[in-house]
Order: sequence, then C-alpha cells, then structure tokens
Amino acid sequence: MPKQDQQLARQLFSLSLVGGTLSTEHVGAVLQYLEKHPPARPIAVLRAYQRLVRAEYAKGQAVIEHAGPIADSLVQSIATTMAGRYGRAVAGVAKANPSLLAGLRVRVGDDVYESSVAQQLAGLSV
Amino acid sequence: MSTVLEQIEQQIAKLSSKAVRKNTGVIRTVADGVAKIDGLSDVMYNEMVSFPGGAIGIALNLEQDEVGCVVLGDVSRLKEGDEVQTTGKLLSVPVGKGLLGRVVDALGAPVDGKGPITSSESYPVEKIAPGIVVRKSVSQPLFTGIMAIDSMIPIGRGQRELIIGDRGTGKTTIAIDTIINQAKINKVGLASGDPKFRPVYSIYVAVGQKNSNIVRTIGALEVAGALEYTVIVAAPAADNPANQYLAPYSGAAIGEWFMENGMDALIVYDDLSKHAVAYRQISLILKRPSGREAYPGDVFYLHSRLLERSARLDGKGSLTALPIIETLAGDVSAYIPTNVISITDGQIFLETDLFNQGIRPAVSVGLSVSRVGSSAQIKATKQVGGKLKGELAQFRELAAFAQFGSDLDAKTKSQLDRGSRIVELFKQPAFNPIPIEQQVVTLWAMQKGFYDSLELKQVTAASVSLREFFATRKDAVLAEIRNKAALDKDLEDKIKVGVEEWKASFSA
Repeated sequence: MPKQDQQLARQLFSLSLVGGTLSTEHVGAVLQYLEKHPPARPIAVLRAYQRLVRAEYAKGQAVIEHAGPIADSLVQSIATTMAGRYGRAVAGVAKANPSLLAGLRVRVGDDVYESSVAQQLAGLSV
Repeated sequence: MSTVLEQIEQQIAKLSSKAVRKNTGVIRTVADGVAKIDGLSDVMYNEMVSFPGGAIGIALNLEQDEVGCVVLGDVSRLKEGDEVQTTGKLLSVPVGKGLLGRVVDALGAPVDGKGPITSSESYPVEKIAPGIVVRKSVSQPLFTGIMAIDSMIPIGRGQRELIIGDRGTGKTTIAIDTIINQAKINKVGLASGDPKFRPVYSIYVAVGQKNSNIVRTIGALEVAGALEYTVIVAAPAADNPANQYLAPYSGAAIGEWFMENGMDALIVYDDLSKHAVAYRQISLILKRPSGREAYPGDVFYLHSRLLERSARLDGKGSLTALPIIETLAGDVSAYIPTNVISITDGQIFLETDLFNQGIRPAVSVGLSVSRVGSSAQIKATKQVGGKLKGELAQFRELAAFAQFGSDLDAKTKSQLDRGSRIVELFKQPAFNPIPIEQQVVTLWAMQKGFYDSLELKQVTAASVSLREFFATRKDAVLAEIRNKAALDKDLEDKIKVGVEEWKASFSA
C-alpha cells in the first residue's frame, strides 16, 4: 500500500479519537467526509482506516471465550481487572468456544490470556 | 514409588490453572519467505515468533502498523489470517562438542541423517562481539598447510583473513586445506599427550552453494579424516534466503562456544557474497530502502558485526575467521568486496590468470596481505621465508620488464631464475596440506640453493621428494623443528646433512 494512503488513514484515525478513545460520532464524520471528498485510492484508504479502528476497538474489549457456562459476574470481574491492567475502559464480551474443552481465553487487543484445557493439552504434546 | 509421585506432581504443576499471556498478531501477507503481520504490539527486534504448524520466524522490521518477519521453514502452509505469537526468545542454536562431525542447517538441526544432536547448551545466533578489554592481540599461528600462505601471508589465531577471487580460482580449496591441516595437527598434537597443545576445531558455513558442492566438501573432509573435528552449517542455494542470511551467524555462535570455553576454533564463511545477496533479497521484500547495487544501507554492518565476533580472548580461546568473497572479473573494488576487505585483517587474493597458468594455489603475492599474522609466525618460518615476498615481488616486476628484451645482465637473470623456482616450489595439489616443519625444510633447501642445479620443471617434484625423504627418514629432525619452532646452528646442520643425503639420492 502506498505510504500516502497509510498516512491519510492514520490522520483520519487520529481525528476519530476523543481524549484517546474512539468516538462513534467522529468515525461517522470521517466517513461522511470521505464520501464527499474521496481520495485517489478510496478503497485502500478505507481498508487502512478500518484496520486501525478495528485494532483500537479490540483494545477496549475483553473477548472472553469459554467452553462451559459463564456467570455475568465473572465477565464483569474480568472486564474490571483488564480495565485496571490497561488503564482504560474495557468492556467484557462473552463468546462460547467449545474447542477450549474447559477454562477461559481472554483477548484484549493483541494480548491473549489463556487458561484452557485445550492449550494445556497442546503444551503437553510439544 | 516417590519418583512416580514426583512425576505426577510435576504433571499437575504443568496443568495448573495459571493463565498464560501471549502477544499475538495476524498474518496480513506472505510472500517470498517474508510475512507481514498485523498486531504483535509487544514484539522485540530479532525476536522469534511462532507461526501455526511449528514454523518460526524472526521479527526484522518493526513498523508503526505492521511487523515484517522472515519465516524459517515451510511458508507454503501459512495463509492470510493465521495467528502468530511472540515467544520472548532470541533465536538460538545448539552448541558444543556434540556438533563435531555433524552437518546442521541454519537453525542447528541435523541434516545428515545421523540422528539427533547431543547438546545441552544453546547460544543466541545474534550476539554483540567481544569488547576491547577482553581481547588479546593475535600472536599464535594458525597453519593453513599451504606453503605460499604460511610463509608469506601468515594467519594467526583470532585473525579474520579474507579469501577473495573469481569463480573457480580455488577459494574453497584453500579453506578446506586449512581445515584438513587443523585436523592433521590435532591428531599429532593430541597423540603426543602434550598438555599445552590446543586443538583447533573447524566450522564450515556453506551459504547459497550447490548441494553437490557441499557433498563434495563433506566427502573431502571425510576422506582426509577431518570431519570429526568439523561442524558443517549448510544453507544451500535451495534453502530460503532467511536461512542463508542466518547461517553465518549460527556458525559464529557455534564457534563462540569453543572460544568462550578456552578452545580455539576456525570458521569458514563460504561465501559472504551470496550471504549479502540473500540479505538483499530479504531487505527488498521487506521494502527497506535500497542503496548501491540495491543492497540495503546496513549491508556493511551485516558483515562487520559477524566478523567482529572472531577474536582472541584474554584467558580464553580464539575464533579465527576465513570469510570468502567471490569477485566478478577480478574486480576487488566492487561494493561487497571493498566492505569485507576493510573489515578483515588481510586478504588472500586468488587470480584466474595464475590458476590457468597452472600456478595453484593461485595466490597473488602482490595483492595479498596479512595485517596481523606476521606476529604469529613462528621464528623458523621467518628465518627461511622472511624475504620471499620481496623476492617474488621483484621477480614479477623483472618478469614483466624482461618480456621487452632478451639482453639481460647476469644478476637480473639469476633473480628471474630464482623467482621462477620459488613459483614452482609453491605449487601444491589440492587437499594436501604440508606440515609446517616440512615447509621449513623445503624453503631452507631453496634458500641454500639446493634446487638451483635442477631443471625448472623438476623443482616441484624435487620438493615433494625432499619432504617425503624427511618424513620417512628424518622424522627426528622434523620433530625438533616442530618443537623448537626456530632454527639454530645445530638444527641447521642437521637439516643440511639431511638435504645433502636427499640430493645425492635424488640426483642419482
């Protein structure tokens, strides 16, 4: 991807943040602006922008994969712990994943915290 | 019973419920052995990353939005969207004596079909070279067994001596000869039981070479009985560029183990031209800015950081490097050759013309130099070969001048005659290194004019015959030269008696 497109996407992304947090309104405004003033390669710019927004969005979410039932209180507790660890608001999202067999896998941005039987079995097989 | 219980306890501990933190990313593109990855926000420069299916990679480009990794292994199974994890480790290779006699790839995995390698230690592939304080100057010789080199361009333990020349001029042969000579010296030294004897272990790193050539090299070492003292790191032309890029550093790590543990090692990088080409390929795919001849800006550092790892350490061992560079049409002023010439402590320049004239090894005495090795030369070699380089240089000058006229004075004629005899004397077949004591005797006989009465064509055969004579009948004299490492009046008399005896039998 050309550097200009990446730079433009980064500029648009920085305009989408309010106090370091992604703002839905600002993202909407950016998209409106792009519709009215399309850049030379709109798809490339939008893809790069989407990647940045997705990465930022993932940082504010703790996706909790679980094999069995999970209590809402546990989801909330994990979200609070992660918020404390990363120093930002983190929302907990529960997602069923039977392949874990038992235990949990929590993903916040690039970081994955795993304590599942599937992972431990995989570790034993190495 | 208690052991069984402990084992179960350990297994339970492994299965403890403690969460493991991993930093992950997602493959965006994979092309030509390089993967571009989204994420991996915690990855460090040169850190190993793990791909699905067991392949590993090294993070070489840390950019704002993505990470560029070279993949070591099968890239065909990787696809867009695959998850990649950081490992928190630098790339390491197994080290130790367990690798001797083995052929390994750039990651230290055996490729010779002789089973797993017994090694309990591993060293990082990339390591900062030893600093100033821990180093010691080069003062111990490392004999190549090639008379032209040992007498005129001597190499010391811990030195970096470049072997440079066009294709097919015998660069690899010089390196292999040197390895074979180390093995021969090791066998004699270890058999003698001398506690002060320090064997030299060899590492041969083949970068971007044809597999057939590597097989031939292994065969030559095996036939000469040198493989048991040698580790071969193979990154052939069929290997991916990432492995070719890493192989010299892996070899250096294996050599460093010997050096750090008070032993001496010799490492041959065959060759760094192809190494630079592999690195250029990786850099271009990683979209790093290219400079002269499309090499990246840090191509000098690529070789300087590698060759600086060869050293002689105070109170420890040494690592001597023989990097090889292939030139095009004898152009030593090209980019990579000049870089490596400036990094090394001298070079052995091989000429195509000399090679085609049958002067083998085709060492160009005028362009070859050893910047530190002369202080490592033994006194006996200095005594018999100290003036050789000057004499040969004069000979080359006069030979060029003599082509223009036939009327030459007696002195010039004698200089030309002597020069051509020295050239004949230095002819040596491949994979046949000559022990230093035999070299001393050969050169002593030349200095004292024992070959002067012979036909020029007979000189090479005469020198071989003289060495055979001494090896079979005057072993005690050779042993004395080896032990004293200098010629005194008494020893010279013994050599004289021996040479006269040989001359009488040779003439007859």
